[in-house]
Amino acid sequence: MLLRAASLAKTYYKNKLAVPVLRGVDLDVDEGEFLSVIGASGSGKSTLLHLLGTLDKADSGTIHLDGRRIDNLPARDRDVLRNRTFGFIFQFYHLLPELTALENVLMPLMITYSTLGYWARRGALRKRAEAILDRVGLSHRLKHQPAELSGGEMQRAAIARALISQPRVLLADEPTGNLDTANGQQIMAVLRELNRNDGLTIVMVTHNLDLVHDTDRVVRIADGRIEPEAKIPAPTFDAVGAGK
Amino acid sequence: MYKALLCWRYLKTRYLAMACIISVMLGVATLIVVNSVMNGFSTKLREKLHTVLSDIVIESTGMEGFADPAGKMDMIRDDPFLGPKVAGMTASMEVFAILQFYYPSGDRATRPVRMIGIDEQTRGDIGGFKKHLILQKGKDTISFEPPPHVRDFFERQERQLIEKQARDALETADPNLPPPPAPPPSRVKVPCGAFVGNLIASYRMKRPTVGDDGKDYDEQYVLEQGHPIFLTTLSGGGDRMDPRNDRFIVVDFFKSEMSEYDSNYVYVPLSYLQKLRSMEDRVTSIQIKLHSYQDADVVAERLQRMFPGPLLRVSTWEQKQGPLLEAIKIEKGILNVLLFLIIAVAGFGILAIFSMIVTEKTRDIGILKALGAGNSGILKIFLGYGLSLGIVGAVFGTGLGITITVYLNEISDWLAARTGQKIFDPIVYYFDKIPTDLQPSMVALVNVGAVLIAVMFSVLPALRAARLHPVRALRYE
Repeated sequence: MLLRAASLAKTYYKNKLAVPVLRGVDLDVDEGEFLSVIGASGSGKSTLLHLLGTLDKADSGTIHLDGRRIDNLPARDRDVLRNRTFGFIFQFYHLLPELTALENVLMPLMITYSTLGYWARRGALRKRAEAILDRVGLSHRLKHQPAELSGGEMQRAAIARALISQPRVLLADEPTGNLDTANGQQIMAVLRELNRNDGLTIVMVTHNLDLVHDTDRVVRIADGRIEPEAKIPAPTFDAVGAGK
Repeated sequence: MYKALLCWRYLKTRYLAMACIISVMLGVATLIVVNSVMNGFSTKLREKLHTVLSDIVIESTGMEGFADPAGKMDMIRDDPFLGPKVAGMTASMEVFAILQFYYPSGDRATRPVRMIGIDEQTRGDIGGFKKHLILQKGKDTISFEPPPHVRDFFERQERQLIEKQARDALETADPNLPPPPAPPPSRVKVPCGAFVGNLIASYRMKRPTVGDDGKDYDEQYVLEQGHPIFLTTLSGGGDRMDPRNDRFIVVDFFKSEMSEYDSNYVYVPLSYLQKLRSMEDRVTSIQIKLHSYQDADVVAERLQRMFPGPLLRVSTWEQKQGPLLEAIKIEKGILNVLLFLIIAVAGFGILAIFSMIVTEKTRDIGILKALGAGNSGILKIFLGYGLSLGIVGAVFGTGLGITITVYLNEISDWLAARTGQKIFDPIVYYFDKIPTDLQPSMVALVNVGAVLIAVMFSVLPALRAARLHPVRALRYE
C-alpha cells in the first residue's frame, strides 16, 4: 500500500455557509497502480487530490504514505513531499508564463537545490530535463514559452515537469479536460506508458468516463464519499459524445 | 535559484515594474540634486564667509576701539597655549563712512559705506583676502600703492595746482608791498590708495538675452583704477566727534562675490585711517588665523578669559555668522524631510503596483507552492523583486542625479535660453553660478534609504503572496 487515506473530511465555507465537500473518504492506492477517480463536477474529486498531495489540509482524517502519516507534517516537510514525492498535472497546465518549456520543467529541481547546488549540477539537470521533454515529444520546443505552445504541448510540458523529480505518485487533475479528443488521447497514451513501463503510480481525477476504461481501477466519488469499485460501462459512442 | 530566475523574469517582463523603477529613480535623482545644491550653497557660503572673516575675531564693542593692538598681539603670541596655535594676526579698524565720487557723466554719487583700515603687511594672509582683489590677484603681498602712471598723473596735477597757487599769489600780490617770503617748498602729496568693493565700483547692466558666457548682464564700472574718491568719517578721540574727510585713489577692487561685503566695504591703510581719525595706536578689531580651525572654540574661550570685560568680544567666524549658517542647516534638514516624503510617496506607489503584481501572479504562486516552494521562498521572490526594483531605480537615479548635478549650470542656462525665464539669478545670490557639492557619503545614504524604502514597501505584498493558500491560488481566475 503506497498511499492510504482514511475518513477524510473537508468542508468549505462560502460566506459562512458550510459546504461539505468530503464526508469521510477512505481510499487506498497501491504502488504501480493507475487509479481513476470519477465523479460529477463539484463532487470533491479535485479536493481529494489536493488533500492526497498535501496541497490542502483535511478537517479530519489521515493520510499515510508508505505507512507514515503525512497530513500532519510541518509545512516545510510537506513542501519537500510535493517537491519530490508527488507530481501534479492540472487541467489548465499551470505552466509559468515567463519561463520557457525547459525552464518550467527545471523549476522543481531549482526548488529542490540551493542556488549553488543547482549551479554545480546544472549541466546534468538540464540533460535530464531535455531527456524527459524528448520523451513526451517536446524536444523541438525547449526554448518556447507557454504562450507559443499548443494545449497538448503545454500539457506534455506539464507532465515533464511533474516527472523531473522522479516522483512516486503522479496526481493528475482532469489532465485532458481542456484538450480535444486527439490530444487528450495522446496525453492518456503518455500516462499509460509511464504507468506500464516505469511503474509510476498515477491517481487521475476526471469526469470523462471515456478515459477511464483503460486504467487499472476506477472509483466513483459522490456525496462526499467513495463508492466502492464503481462499475464503468464499456465505452460507447454516446459516452464519447457525452465526454466532449 | 528559482527565486533569482523569477525575480529577473518579472523584472524583464512587467512594464508595471518600470513605474516603480522610475518613481525610485526620480526620487533618488531629486534627492541627490537638491542635496548637492544645498551642500554646494552651504559649503560655498561658508568658504566665502570664512575667507572674508578670519577664524577668530577680537573686536571692541564700541567705535572708539582699543589701544595697543601690538601689545595684545604679543600677549597672544607669547601665551604658551595660544602661541603655537596661532598662524597669523592682523589688526584693523572698522568705521562707517560716507563715500562720494563722480560718475563719468559728472553727477555726484554719495553713499554710506563701511570703511576699514587694514594693515597691508599682515591682512593679506588672513582669510582669503588676497584672492578677492581683482587687480592684485596672484601677488604675494597686497599694496595700497597706486601704479606709477596713476601716481604720475596725481603728482602732475598736484604740482600744477601748487604752481598755479604760487602764480596766483604773485599776480594778486600788491606790488607796493615787499614780496612775501618764498613759501616753504610744498611736498607734492599724492592721495592714499583704497580698495573699493566691486559692487560699489560697478553695476550690472541687463542684457536683452543670455550671452555665450551664460550671463545676462554686463559689469559696467563707474569707478576705475586711478579715479579719486572722497571719504568722510568721524574722528575717534575726545568727547566731541568731528567729521574728517580725505581724498583717496581707487587702486583695486574687492570682489568676494558676497554682495553684503562687495557693496559696502572700502579698504584703506590702517595707519592712514588712524591718523585721519586721530586714533593713533587704536584699532577696533584683531583678526586671528589659526593653524587648525578645529581649535577655534578652545582658543576663543581662552582669549575671552584673557580679555574679559564688556569692552572686547571674542568670536569665531561661525559664531559671527551663526544665524545665517544655522538657517541654511535648518533649510537643508526641512528639505530632506520633504524630499524623503516624496520617496515615501514613491514607496506607496511601489506598494500599490506590487499588490497588483501579486494579484496578477496569484496563480503562479499556487503553481510554485504545488511544486514544493515554501512560504519563505515565495516571500523571498517578492522581497527580492522589491530589492532589485529599488537597486535598479537607485542606480539609474544616481546616474541621473549625478549627471544633472554636474551639468546643472548648463541645464539651467539651456532652460533659461529656451523659456526666457531665469532659473538662477546671480544678482539674488552670492554666487554667479549654482554651486554644487556632490558628496559620496550623501549619495550612498540616499541610495541606501531608497532601497530600504523599496524593500520596506514590498514587505506587505510579499507577505500576502507568501500566505496565499495554494489551492485557492491555483483556482484563481
